[in-house]
Parts: sequence; structure tokens; C-alpha cells
Amino acid sequence: MPTAASSTDGSRIGHLLREEWWAVQDVGHLLHLRASTVRRRRNAIGLAVFVVITVAASVVPAYLPHAGGKGYAFNLLLLMPSALAGFQLLALASAVASGGGRELVPRDQLVAYPVNPTTDHLGALLLAPLNIAWLLQCWLLLGSASFALGPHFFLPAVIGAFLWVLAATAVAQIIAWSMEGLRRLRHGITAVRLLGAVGLVTAASLQITHRLSDVLDALPTQWLVTGLIGGFSWRWLLTVALIVGIFVVAVVLGAVPAHLTARLQPREELRVESGRYRARPMPSSDVAMLVRVDRASVWRAVPMRRGLVVLSVGPGLVSLAGNLPWNQLTILPGLVASGGALLFGVNAWSLEGRGALWRESLPVQPSAVFTARAWVILEFLVVASAITLGLAVLRAGTPSAAELSAVLCTWAVVLLQVVSAALRWSLRSPYAVDLRSARATPAPPLAMVGYSTKLAASTTVTSLVFSGLSRVEAWPLSVLVAAPFVAWSLLRLLRARDGWVDAPTRARVVMTVAG
Amino acid sequence: MSEQVPWPVVDVRGLHVRFGEVEAVNGVDLAAYAGHSTALLGRNGAGKSTTMRVIAGVVPPTQGTVSVVGHDVRTEPLEVKRAVGYCPDVGGLVPRATPWEHLQLSARLRRMGPGWEERARDLLERFELGDVAHRVTSGFSHGMGRRLSVVLAAFHEPHVLLLDEPFDGVDPIGVEATLDVVHDARARGACVLVSTHLRELAIEACSSVLVLRGGARVATVTAHDMAGEEGARAYRGLLD
Repeated sequence: MPTAASSTDGSRIGHLLREEWWAVQDVGHLLHLRASTVRRRRNAIGLAVFVVITVAASVVPAYLPHAGGKGYAFNLLLLMPSALAGFQLLALASAVASGGGRELVPRDQLVAYPVNPTTDHLGALLLAPLNIAWLLQCWLLLGSASFALGPHFFLPAVIGAFLWVLAATAVAQIIAWSMEGLRRLRHGITAVRLLGAVGLVTAASLQITHRLSDVLDALPTQWLVTGLIGGFSWRWLLTVALIVGIFVVAVVLGAVPAHLTARLQPREELRVESGRYRARPMPSSDVAMLVRVDRASVWRAVPMRRGLVVLSVGPGLVSLAGNLPWNQLTILPGLVASGGALLFGVNAWSLEGRGALWRESLPVQPSAVFTARAWVILEFLVVASAITLGLAVLRAGTPSAAELSAVLCTWAVVLLQVVSAALRWSLRSPYAVDLRSARATPAPPLAMVGYSTKLAASTTVTSLVFSGLSRVEAWPLSVLVAAPFVAWSLLRLLRARDGWVDAPTRARVVMTVAG
Repeated sequence: MSEQVPWPVVDVRGLHVRFGEVEAVNGVDLAAYAGHSTALLGRNGAGKSTTMRVIAGVVPPTQGTVSVVGHDVRTEPLEVKRAVGYCPDVGGLVPRATPWEHLQLSARLRRMGPGWEERARDLLERFELGDVAHRVTSGFSHGMGRRLSVVLAAFHEPHVLLLDEPFDGVDPIGVEATLDVVHDARARGACVLVSTHLRELAIEACSSVLVLRGGARVATVTAHDMAGEEGARAYRGLLD
């Protein structure tokens, strides 16, 4: 039997390359389709804002007082290897939680088209930066590099750090596709959970045995930082070439697990869709019944369940490892509540999807429907942030009355802020989305960036206010300051309810989310 | 079922519905009576579904009056919704809720008595959905979803049964069960409105036919006049 390569083998490779080239071209087509659904001006503004902030974050810190000096700047330089590794971890968590990254165009809209998994992979890579956590970390990294090295040496380091951000995102994508593929195998979900548990136990044991700093010091990113901080040189060129090499290889290799994953059934989603749920007794009130159905829509959705775990456990463990004191815990509820709202709350009326028309034909006061929806969002956010705070307080010691009061007041204030904002935006800009897939988002990518920026800004400012109050030894002060915040959020929530009660407004929302 | 009313159960006069620049319904008049079934026929975009949504109390009219069992949809939407059973044209199901949870929600909000469970089980069996009563609907086929939507519309034995594209993608058993539901509703004195593209099934299910074109009514004829080759030609003539 001849074993030499036949002409068919050659044509198969040619066919494969042609397919992959088409896949790359299709990214452009899908991007064009996606961009056409957003006003061109909005796209341009979004891109301009990104460029301006990125350039500012890269340049301005280098010219600040003490930049490149021996004090704070030097400490930042020492932390750079950990910061590069931290970005990798963040990109990984984001990509894994979203089942391989976000979809350029939702799956249900492309079901009739032959979309190559390579296109899907490249699309997910392109959308990865449209995430406030990614953007903030990227700007923080660039700003840190810039400040650490000062006006004479910042440019090569910032270029290197930016390329690292891209490479880390591409590497995260490979791992995320592989994890998603593993999750889709028999017993894969258990395997992924085991892997996660092993990772957590390892991190915890390193922290407990005080060996975490040794591990951080031994990270290979140290070699990269050494190569990037000495100005433009051969060493710098070699380091940059290596980072670019990692990026290119990761982008190309990422297509392999993407293809393998695409051939497997999403077991977790199928399990939810084919699962049986026993009948429960009739609830005692209309609102209780509405809450039950809304709760099912939230807790039976894969992206919500997965998102809740990542959102609540991640920051909780970081706080635990970092041994955050009580006066810094005020930052956590806002962070988690904002993330929770971004899972579904910002487009809350899309939960029933095409069932919205039937739901709207039922004889019930619209205000009861609104109350039930607000309650379900609130309880989701309470659960998520309670897990985080529960983990964080384990090593935070005994709080003073002022610290406890500040944390509890922040919690109440940011929860109301987020619920009120989510329901206002849900009413103003509804979208028809299918939240079945772990990769689905409740709104288009640019809108999500806008929402996350607004939520991050408002909750961070609130948290900082209460963090300051926790240092003042007078616990009623936090309660007094919280009162106007709560009143304002309640007022805005009531205004959102009035909007929902208005029949033409409600009809617009219902018709939109029903598709 | 309460006593039959002597006036049109559904009375639509000069209905206009606008969505921004688009005039979805442009002056529809319609009168439908108890114990009768009326088909709404017309091409895509003729305004059938929007008219049904207005009658169901889901979309408020921009102009004109719509009364259902004597209640104005604009001022008494809850009374209208109590009187109506609505099967929407798209989906109509909450994706992550089970059929039983849909029925329980409807029974609760419609204040149905203790017999609702028996009625629910009976309907699910008739539409061959008994085996999937406790599975979430996102895993349902299109036809199963349509059948469940009809079940939900007919569940509380409404005064007005609104079925929008109930036969779309439904297998023959489902079609038969839907025709039975329409027949039963008529027999107990309910007013039935069926919107469909399928002329033959419209004729089988209904006694009169209302043809819409460009958001306005162009004709009201008996189902008999729409039957056969002659009826098909007449219908085509009304659409052009």
C-alpha cells in the first residue's frame, strides 16, 4: 500500500487553508453586520474614547511628580510581574466564565449560516476588550508601567505591556475554549469543578503557608518585565518579539479547541433544557407566583449561575488572600452587584423572551409585575454579594461599630443604586436576547461597556465615601449619609415603575423583547 | 361560561396602531359575536397580529375604540385580559418555565378554582404534552410550543379566544386538537378569532372570514365563500 503523500492530501491542506481564510474574512462580514446595528457615530465615539483613554493612561502618569523615582514608583515596578500575571488571570476568568468568550453575533441569529468556529474564535477575541474589567485592568497596567518608569523609559515598557495584554487575552482564549470543550465531555462538568477546586486549594495553601510571595517572585513574567524596562535595546526587541510570538501562536492555536468544542453538545445547557422540575403548591399571592416564575428564569439559566459563582467567589477569595481590612471591604458589594446586574438586570424584561406577549396578556397589575422583577434582581444581587462579603470577613478580624455600619450601609445603598439603574435601563433600551447560552449577554457589546462603566463609576464613588466614613468613630454617621442615597435610589426606582405602568411604554418594551 | 351577550363581544371601530413612522393598523373595523368564530386572513404585515394584540390588551390602540365584552381596552385593560385567552404569533412561552408553571401562573392570576389542575392535565393530554408538563419550554420544538400556547389560551375557558397562527408548524394531531378547542369554545358560546395564513384551515375552523390588506379591512365574507377553487381565486383577488 503506498504511503507517500497523495495529491488528495495536498488538496486537503489547500482546502483547509482556504476555509480558514474565508473564516477570517467572515469576521469582517460579521463585524460589519454588528456595527450596522449601532449608530455609526456611537461606534466612532466609542473607539475614540478607548484610544484617548489608552494613550492618556500610557503617557500622563510618566510625567506626574515622582514618576520613575525610588518611592511609590519603584514599588510599582516591583509589582509589575505580578500585575502582568494578574491580567492573565483576569482574562482567563472572564473567558472561561463566558464559555469561550462573547459572540460577535448571537448564535440564534446565525443558525442558518455556515459560520466557521475559527470565525467564532476570532470574534470572541475581538470582543474581549469590550468589558469594563478588561479595560480598567489594561489601563491600570499601562498607567502603572508608565508611572514606574518615568518620562525617559516609559515608552518601551508601555508598548511591551500593551502587547502583553493582547497576548494574555489570546492565551486566555485558548484555555477558555479548552475548558468549554472539557465541560462538554461526559463528566466534563465535574472535571472542570474539580480543577477549579484544586486551583483554589493550591492558592489557599500557598497563602496559609506564606509561600505565595515566593511563587509570585518566581513567575516567568519577571523575565518579561526585565526585558521591557531597560529602554529600546536588543533585549527589549527580543522580549517584544517573544510576546508577539505568543500572541500570534495563541490566536492561531485557539482555533483548534474552538473547532473541537463546536463539535460537542453544550451539556450544561441541554441538561437545563431537558431537566424536570417538580410541581410546587400554589403560592399565596400574585406577586409570590410572579416571583417564582421570574426566579426560575434567572436561576435556571446557565450564564446566570456560572456568572454568580465567578462574581461572588472570585472577589471573595482575592479579599481573603489579600487579608483586606474592614474599611476596604466597602468596595466589594458595589463591584459584585454591578457585575450581577450585567448578567441580566440591565435588560431585565428580556427574561421571558418571546413569552413576554403571553405574560402581558395575563390579568395582573403592572406594578405587581414590576415589584416581582425588582425583587428577583435584588435577591440575586444580595446572594452574590453576601457570598463575597462572607468570604472576605473571614480574615478581616472584628470590626468596630463604625466599620460594620459603613459596610452594611454601602451594601444597602449600592444594591438599591444598581437595581434602580438596571430597571431604568431595561425600560429605556430593551433588547431581544436569548440568554440560554453561557456566551450570551443581555445587551450588545458597546451597550454593555456603557452600562458597566456607569455602574462601576457610581458604585465606586459610593464605596469610597463609606470607606472614608468607616474611619470616623461614629457609626450613626454612615446611616445618616446612607439615608439620602437610599431615598434617591428609591425615588428613581419608583419613576421606573411609573414608566412600566404606562401602557404604551410597556407595549414597546414587550414587543421589543418578544422579538 | 357566563350567559351570552347580545352585542358584539369584540367591537373594533376605526382602529389605528402606529409604531413610530410605521402604521401597522390603518382603520380596521371588526365585530365578532358570541358562539361564532372569525378568521383574520391577509398577507404578512396586513395588521392581523397587531389587531389581535390590541384585542388581547397587550398593545394600546393609537386611535379608535376597541371593546371586549363591553370593556374598553384602553380604560379597563384588566377586565379585558380576564375575558380573553390569547395565543401570540411568536413563541408565547417563558423559556425557562415548565408548562405546569405557565398553567399555575395563569390559574393564580385568573383566580381559577380548585378544579384548575384537572382541567390543565386534561388539556395537556389532549395536546400530547402530558409527558413534558414539568420540563422547561426552551427545549421544546416549534410545534410543541405552538400547541402549548393554544392550551394556555383555552385553559380558563375565556369569553374571547384569540389564536394567532395556531396551526403554524403544528402536526396533524395538534391541528385536530386545536380545531376541537375552537369547536368547544364556540359550543359554550365564546367568541373566537383565528389569525392564520392557511386559508383551508381558517375555513374549517371559522364561520366567517375577515380579509385585511395594508393594515385595513378589505372584505368580510362567509367561510363558505372562501372555500374551494373559487374561494382561493376570490382570496387572491382580495390580496392583490
